[in-house]
Amino acid sequence: MSTFSGLNTGLSSLYASRRALELAGQNISNVNTEGYSRQRLDLQSVGGPVTSALHATYDGVGNGVMVAGVDRLRDMFLEARALTERGTAAGLAGDRVLLGRVEAVLAEPGDAGISRQLADFWDGWDDVANNPDSLAARSQLLERAQTLAEGLNGAVQALDAQYDASHQELAATVLDINAVAVGVADFNRAIVSATRAGLSPNDLLDKRDVLVQRLAEMAGATVKHGDAGSVDVFLGGTALVTGTTTCPLQVSGTGGTPPGSDAVAVVWAGAADASGPQAAVGGAAGSLLKGLNDVLPRYRAQLTDVAERVRTQVDAVHDAQAFDQQGAPGEHFFVITDGRLVVNVSDPARIAASASPGTDGTGDRGGTKAAQLAELSSAKGGADELYRRTVVALGVEAQAAGRRVEIQDDILAQVDAAREAESGVSLDEEMTNLLAFQKAYEGAARFISAIDQVLDTLINRTGVVGR
Amino acid sequence: MSSPRVTQRSVTSTVMRGLQANALRMQQIQEQLSSGRQVNRPSDSPVKTVEAMQFRGTLSRTEQYVRNAQDGLAVLGTVDSALSSGLEMVRRARDLTLTGMNGANGAQGREALAAEIDQLRESLIGVANTRYLDRPVFGGNTGGALAYSTPVAGDPAGAFVGDTGAALRTVAAGTQVEVNVTGPETFGDGTDSQLFDVLAGLSAALRGGPEVGGVTDLDDGLSKLDRATERIVAALGKVGARTNRVETLAAKAEDSLVTLTNSLAEVESIDLPKTIVELQMQEVAYQAALGATARVVQPSLLDFLR
Repeated sequence: MSTFSGLNTGLSSLYASRRALELAGQNISNVNTEGYSRQRLDLQSVGGPVTSALHATYDGVGNGVMVAGVDRLRDMFLEARALTERGTAAGLAGDRVLLGRVEAVLAEPGDAGISRQLADFWDGWDDVANNPDSLAARSQLLERAQTLAEGLNGAVQALDAQYDASHQELAATVLDINAVAVGVADFNRAIVSATRAGLSPNDLLDKRDVLVQRLAEMAGATVKHGDAGSVDVFLGGTALVTGTTTCPLQVSGTGGTPPGSDAVAVVWAGAADASGPQAAVGGAAGSLLKGLNDVLPRYRAQLTDVAERVRTQVDAVHDAQAFDQQGAPGEHFFVITDGRLVVNVSDPARIAASASPGTDGTGDRGGTKAAQLAELSSAKGGADELYRRTVVALGVEAQAAGRRVEIQDDILAQVDAAREAESGVSLDEEMTNLLAFQKAYEGAARFISAIDQVLDTLINRTGVVGR
Repeated sequence: MSSPRVTQRSVTSTVMRGLQANALRMQQIQEQLSSGRQVNRPSDSPVKTVEAMQFRGTLSRTEQYVRNAQDGLAVLGTVDSALSSGLEMVRRARDLTLTGMNGANGAQGREALAAEIDQLRESLIGVANTRYLDRPVFGGNTGGALAYSTPVAGDPAGAFVGDTGAALRTVAAGTQVEVNVTGPETFGDGTDSQLFDVLAGLSAALRGGPEVGGVTDLDDGLSKLDRATERIVAALGKVGARTNRVETLAAKAEDSLVTLTNSLAEVESIDLPKTIVELQMQEVAYQAALGATARVVQPSLLDFLR
């Protein structure tokens, strides 16, 4: 043991306490930083040489303290779990938002929905039946038919617009996924170099993990930890990021005409079409994909079915079976042109309300056929019933999606709470650390002055006898 | 998943979650209160949504049935008053015939009687051409403006020119009621004692002219006139019965309008006092949550360090 080694012991303690105080400061500063994991100083005592050697002078007391490293407190398994739950939550939330938009398109139940327009349309036939001669009743019926056609076409158009919006959103999301994946790869590179150089990559790890979390939300990605702090990110079983390289994604397919007739897919870049190697995307992108390939086309088809049913129901009575004001047989009341329901009758007099052509060439003023058409509102398997079934199916699906979101939010909250408990900063704890290390610093300083005084005694007061 | 550590952020996120849930519930109640409806979108309750849609559909149909019935009653009323006044005229014609059969009348007197019967006949043709909304009510579904041809100079006319189509009104689901009586069933057809033929025949017989319209003499004419009268009375009976039926069905439809409106309100509308109480309770819960947050987030070791 050398004369001055005590000073060194004190110094190491001063250093260690300073580091600890600074670390507490860092933790406190980041108490509300998203993705920050609390850090803890790993202190180790410095002992003497443990193997005996010639001239070794170790008195067994030790040589102070050293900082072995800065630990980042994070539970890898909780993090993995959180990633999965986050991906699921983002996907479910996307489903619910989309179904909510479809609900808004239909505007049921209420006086503004298609069911009201259908009811008005059928009632209009009764007004014609009551007074087949009245131009007012006939014109009113044509107006109502026009309103109904516009209502149905408008709803289909709104779904198509939503389809375009979702498609654009998917394209943007995929671009974002690619950019974030590149970010993860860049961080991986920096982390590996820092680790190899013996530096602490904790801040880099935190920032990288925030990006990985975004990948989980956007695409349902999962991770596997690699060497030297790097991570590999997977979609399904295929790597999106491997160490410092990424494999970009792209959207394939435009959906075709009408929207939704062709499948849209997210494929690995380089694949020419939707049949190429598809990426198993979950999360928000997966939800958008489901909306584009299932939800929107399904409700669009149901609405066009309703339009088609209205057309066939009316034509079954109106077309050629009934006779108009001049006694001529009726024509198609509705036609479907380019997938849109169009009112084919433009002249109110051409509405065929009567069951007979009349005898004297001036037509017949019966309203039997019109009355028959009015009663179609409650026909089994008619347009009204078909439409109601669509609304119920939508309601049930949207309700279930809402419930799943609520449940998933609860799960996510629990996992997040557990993560926060593991890696979050507790101010009370940091305060206690501050106190502890402040006292440790004061103690080390006192220790140094004690040694100093001892040396002072030795150097300045020894050998001065008789001076 | 309990953990011994409680950190600033875990407290904050729990608090935020609780507050968010409270605020969401407040917003839902507020939406219900401001719209007055508990079902605002299908996912609020798919079952109630479809019930509401069905009630609305039935309500709309029933309103139309009431309108149909009222229209039908108007037609029936027109027919009824036409027939009543027609019956008066026929009775007058019968009186005139009886007077003519009385031998005390001279040729001049009989001529006057015949002239009055001609007048009555013309008026009765007018009655038979009674219109409702520009349609001859005894003309079936004819496209023409007349049910019986009107007398023109020299020609007594009075021939049926309409058809025998039925005018139907749907007054309940699947129930159609005829709201007209046709000319032939009311005034007879050409083969047997058609009213206008009989009247022409009576007038000719009074004048002592040749046989017209199958009326051989005044006695024969009188019995045929009685048959025509019976037919009009029978038609009046039919109209009465139909009016009755339509009125009953219309009353039933109006009753069910009330029931349906109630059912729709029950399914769709909020219970106002209940919802307001819920809002109050939610407000209290929200304030409690805010209060708890203020107390939980506030203290820290900092407060107790010198």
